Parts: sequence; C-alpha cells; structure tokens
Amino acid sequence: MRRIFPRIALAAALLAGVTAVSAADLVVSAASSLTDAFQAVGKAYEAKHPGTHVVLNFAASDVLLRQIASGAPADVFASADQTAMDKAVEAKAVDAATRKNFATNRLVLIVPADGKTAISSAADLKRADVHRVAYGDPASVPVGRYTRAALEASGLWDAVSAKGVLAQNVRQSLDYVARGEVDAGFVFATDAAIMKDKVTVAAVVPTPKPISYPVAVVAGSKQAGEAKAFEDFVLSNDGQAILKTFGFLAP
Amino acid sequence: MSAIWIPLALSLKVALWATAINLVLGVAVAFGLSRWRSPAREVVDSILTLPLVLPPTVLGYYLLVLLGRRGVFGEWLDRVGIQLVFTWQGAVIASTLVAFPLVQKAARAAFENVDPQLEDAARVLGLRELAVFFRVSLPLAARGITAGALLAFARALGEFGATLMIAGNLPGRTQTLSVAIYAAVQAGDDATAGTMVLVTSVTCVIALLLAGWLSPDRANIRRHRS
Amino acid sequence: MTVDVAIVKELSADDRRFTLDVAFSSDSRRIVLFGPSGAGKSLTLRAIAGLLTPDAGHIRVRNRVLFDASTGVDLAPRHRQVAYLFQDYALFPHLTVAQNIGFGLTSGLLNPSRRERGRAVAHWLDTFELRGIADSYPARISGGQRQRVALARALASEPGIVLLDEPFAALDPALRGRMRRELRELQARLDLQLLVITHDPDDVDALDGHTIEIRDGRLWEDARPPARDAGPLRTDIEPQ
Repeated sequence: MRRIFPRIALAAALLAGVTAVSAADLVVSAASSLTDAFQAVGKAYEAKHPGTHVVLNFAASDVLLRQIASGAPADVFASADQTAMDKAVEAKAVDAATRKNFATNRLVLIVPADGKTAISSAADLKRADVHRVAYGDPASVPVGRYTRAALEASGLWDAVSAKGVLAQNVRQSLDYVARGEVDAGFVFATDAAIMKDKVTVAAVVPTPKPISYPVAVVAGSKQAGEAKAFEDFVLSNDGQAILKTFGFLAP
Repeated sequence: MSAIWIPLALSLKVALWATAINLVLGVAVAFGLSRWRSPAREVVDSILTLPLVLPPTVLGYYLLVLLGRRGVFGEWLDRVGIQLVFTWQGAVIASTLVAFPLVQKAARAAFENVDPQLEDAARVLGLRELAVFFRVSLPLAARGITAGALLAFARALGEFGATLMIAGNLPGRTQTLSVAIYAAVQAGDDATAGTMVLVTSVTCVIALLLAGWLSPDRANIRRHRS
Repeated sequence: MTVDVAIVKELSADDRRFTLDVAFSSDSRRIVLFGPSGAGKSLTLRAIAGLLTPDAGHIRVRNRVLFDASTGVDLAPRHRQVAYLFQDYALFPHLTVAQNIGFGLTSGLLNPSRRERGRAVAHWLDTFELRGIADSYPARISGGQRQRVALARALASEPGIVLLDEPFAALDPALRGRMRRELRELQARLDLQLLVITHDPDDVDALDGHTIEIRDGRLWEDARPPARDAGPLRTDIEPQ
C-alpha cells in the first residue's frame, strides 16, 4: 500500500493540471449543433489571439443556460434559439446589450441511410410502420421546440409525439437515427451534414419562426473584453466564412 | 400529479421485474459459485461484480452495441420482431444488469454461511440434490438473499445512466423516475424535480431499512445459537 | 458379516497429508470405533454414509454393497439406508421438531407441513417423549431433547444402520450418563444396528460392544509391527 499512495497522488496532480481552467482561458458555452463549427471558430480565434485558450462547452441550450444561471464560469453563451436566450436575459445571466444573431439554420427530417422505411415527408410519420421518431425534448432543447412548433403548425404533433423519443440534445437525435434505433428524427441541416454516410435528409421542414442563433457575453464574466472580442470574431467575415463551411446560413 | 405517478409506477414496475429476474439468476449463479471448487471461481466472481464498479454509461454502451437494432443480438432480435431499445423491457435489462452483483454477492455469502453438515444431513435422510437446495440451503439463506434483493430493488429504482442509453426518454413508456428527474431539471422545472427526488429518496430509504433489518448478521445471531 | 469396511483415502490440505487406511468387519449390533480426535473416525463414518468417496476398497452393510472401487459401485447417500447422527445433531433450525422428524419421510421439493403430521411422526414423537415440544424450533429446546430429536429423525426412515458421531460429546456431563443409558436401552428395545465413534473410554464401557481402535488413520493393531502374517486386515476379535 505504501507504494500506491504516491502514485495516486501523482495521478491526481496530473489530472488536476489537465482539467483546471487557467486565467487565460475563455469559456464558450455553445449549443450542441455548433459543436463542429465552433471548434473550428475557436481554433481560428486562438491563431489570431495567441495566449488565449478557448475552452468549449457543448450541451443543449437550456442546459447551458441553467449552468450559467447557477454561476458556472462561462464567458460567452451561444444559443440555438431565441427562447433560451430570452430566458438568459430574463435571468440576467447575460449582458443584453451584447446580444446579436450570428447564424441561421434549417430544420430537417432525417432517416437512416439504409432506408428500410420509406419516408419523404413529415406527414409520412403518421403511418403505422413508423414506430419511433427522435427529437430534442421541447422542454429543454431548442431543436425540439422548433420541431414541436413546425408539427403543431401542420397538425401532426399529436400523432408524432405519441412515437417520440426525447433526446437530451440535437446530437443525440442524430445518433439515434445514425444507429438505426429510430425510424426518423428531426435535426438541424448542419447536423445532418456531418453524418452524410449514415443519415439521409428526407425533407426540409418549414418552421413558423426562423431558426436563428443568438450570442451574448455572460453577465459577470471576468474577461468581458476578451468575450466581446470572441463574439465580434464570430460575426466578422472570417468567422462567418467558417460557419458557412459547416452549412450555417447568414443571420 | 400524473407527471410524478406515471414515472413512479414505471420505475416500480421496472425495479420489480429486475429484482425478480435477479432473484432467479443471482441465486442460481451464487449457489453455483459457492459450491464450485476451482481457482477460476474468483475470476468469474470478479467479472460478475463488474457492473457494480463500471460506469453505468459503459454498461449502457455494451447493451446498445449488443441489443441495438444493428447490434450483435439486436439484429437477430429485430428479425423476430423483438425490439429492446426504447422499450420498458430494455429498462428492465439495464436495471437487472446493474443490480445483479448486489443479489449475487449477498446470496453467495448467505449460501457459504449455511452449515454444510445440514446439507449432508439432508442427503443422508434421503434427499436428492435439488431437494437439498430447496428444502435446506435456500430457506437457510433466504434472509441474506432477501436483504440483497432489497438493495438490488433500491439500486434498480435509482438506475439512470444505462437506462437512459438503452431505454431512452419516452414519456409514459420508458421515462422512469430518475430519467424524469433529469429531464425536469434540464427544463428548469424544479418543483416537479423536487417532488420526484423526495419520492425516490423515501422509497429507497424504506428499502434500505428493510434490508438492514433483514441483514445476515442479525439473522446469524438468531440462527447459529442452536 | 453385517458390517464389512475396507477403505483407503488420501487427503491433503496445504502442507498436511493424511492417509486413512482402515479395514474391519463385525457382526456385533454395537460397533464402537474408538480413538483420539484426528484419528480418522469421522472420515470413516462419512465414507460409510456416502459423504466421502474412498480412493479404494469396499463398504458392505447387511449384505448390501454400498461402495466398491473395483466394480465402480458408489451409491448416493440417499440410497444407502443409513442414518447419521451428527456430533452436534445438525437439526434443521428452520423446521420444528415434528418437521425435523418427518423430514426424511417427505419426498419432493417441499418440507413437511407444520400443521399436519403423519402417523409415523406421531409414533416417533411418542417413542422419544417429544410430543410437548413438537412445535418448538431446535434453538428453543435443551441439549438432551435435541439428541432425542436427532435420533428420532434418524430412526424414522428405518435405516439398516445408525452411524453416531460422538453422540454424547455435546452434552453436559450430568446429562451424558443418562443419555448413554437411554441409547443402550433403545438399542436393545428396537434391536438397532449401531456404529458409534467416540474418543471417550466411558462411552466404550457404556455401550459394551465390539470396539475397534483407530489411531492416525489406521487400526491400532495395524499400527504396530505386524506380529502375524499380513493377511487381510481383520479385527473381528474383541480387544480388551
């Protein structure tokens, strides 16, 4: 036992060193659908601002909001819908003056690429041979809210929600479809694009409200200046060009 | 209130099934292990204890890979029309796996505590091995097994990680109490979450109290006075 | 011969090795295996009951072959028609006195009922004057009563031979004398075939049977340098 303790202490010290957030770290809490795009944006920003390390935290927008409202040390909040950002403003979790829309997206209906069940529109989801449909939990995931609003507008919500598998974030819906565990799912067009080999877009689903992404500096950020600089970079031509390569549309 | 009762009823159903399956499986495996004289015994025991220490997400992943529609067994199951992912039966499998070591360990200790002479006495009195098990070994180990089963029930009731991965979050169908709590917290519905947390805690405390009351230590004092 | 035993069994545990090599036969109704503890008496008894399989030899009781290494006969304990009285009686703690006595009379996977009891159980309860405690659990009765229950349970299945492992060792000295007389009387009354193992010379005197001495896994005579021709190991001569 005597020999084990120093090793444990060493391992603990290494882990602590790896995970600790140091002063020059800029913590960006971004919606799950931004996972790939913001990784690229973060790298580009770091290249322009040597000495700054962008730490990315991805989850469903409402989860990020809850974390920030509970005092998580984030500097920038990028949400996938206005509702989550509205809640953040209401909770005084972000600096409302810095709120800006930086991208738009589209809602798509996807099916597994092997295409066992022929689905070409949202109306097909009512059919008896469609058993399970994945979408984000409307209570906490923006893509779920968009899905619900779109299906309610077309009178399909009751039929589809009876088959609903609630995902904790948009990437989980994507994973369910990619694994073939569900017959279809609702995700953003940008999510569908990163798994082209496993999922097929069956239809683009019109939403009553446009899908637009707002970003804001977190209230009480210790690096508000740096945070604002990151936000500006996202809105700049360079930032927009990166987002475009991942399929996001201009705000 | 149905926001709480439906997940609670589902959780109880899943936990009861998981406990019942574990009573049969865990007791059979424990009895086999307690009577098996082999150096491999402890290795097998360690493997069977893995669910106790592995993260539930790892177990959930294994189950997804095995039982998913494109999984090793899942593909075959799918062909015969059985789907386990996103069903309450899937939740039962996840809970069973996670709680299995609790029954197995308790049952093995209980069987090893049974005086082998009593089993010999039963043999000489004319019983075949199966009858020795049901008439002597099992009744004498019953208390310890019951205590293990109650622990397993509490564990199954609280199971979250593996359940979420294999059974998903389908309100009214696979949304157990712990999954409902998670969803409510994420949605910021603290009132619902708080009530469900209280219900879960009270149920588990009752199960633990019962398990403690039936614990093998206390039973042994009474039994081995003879 | 009523009882004819010739067995060899090698046992090893970690650093210890023990060889059991005993052979005896007897027509006595009261056979006593006498020797210090660790001599191999219990092992011999377990082998006769079928709870231990010898490496070689044979076991015959009342002309039935229970075990014969040369022909591969090895009856399961339940087919041997032997009764075994364990040193601390091995009463089933989860069953009442009446259920314990009826245990071997009930086949199947369920224990005898606590309420109904058959005529045979009633008979043995009367024989051993146990009616008053028939519904008690073993933990609640005295040492002497326990021995009677164990005997009643053993005799209920009408065995060809009763094996008794240190039957009086678990009793306090005051009770011991009385139980010795009871056993002796019972043996005579029911004409039982007994095989008793003991380390206590007083038991040997009280039972007054054919005594065979065992030490260190061997018959005591055998342990001495062979004075006679090394014929088949026999000890039908009464020592002392």
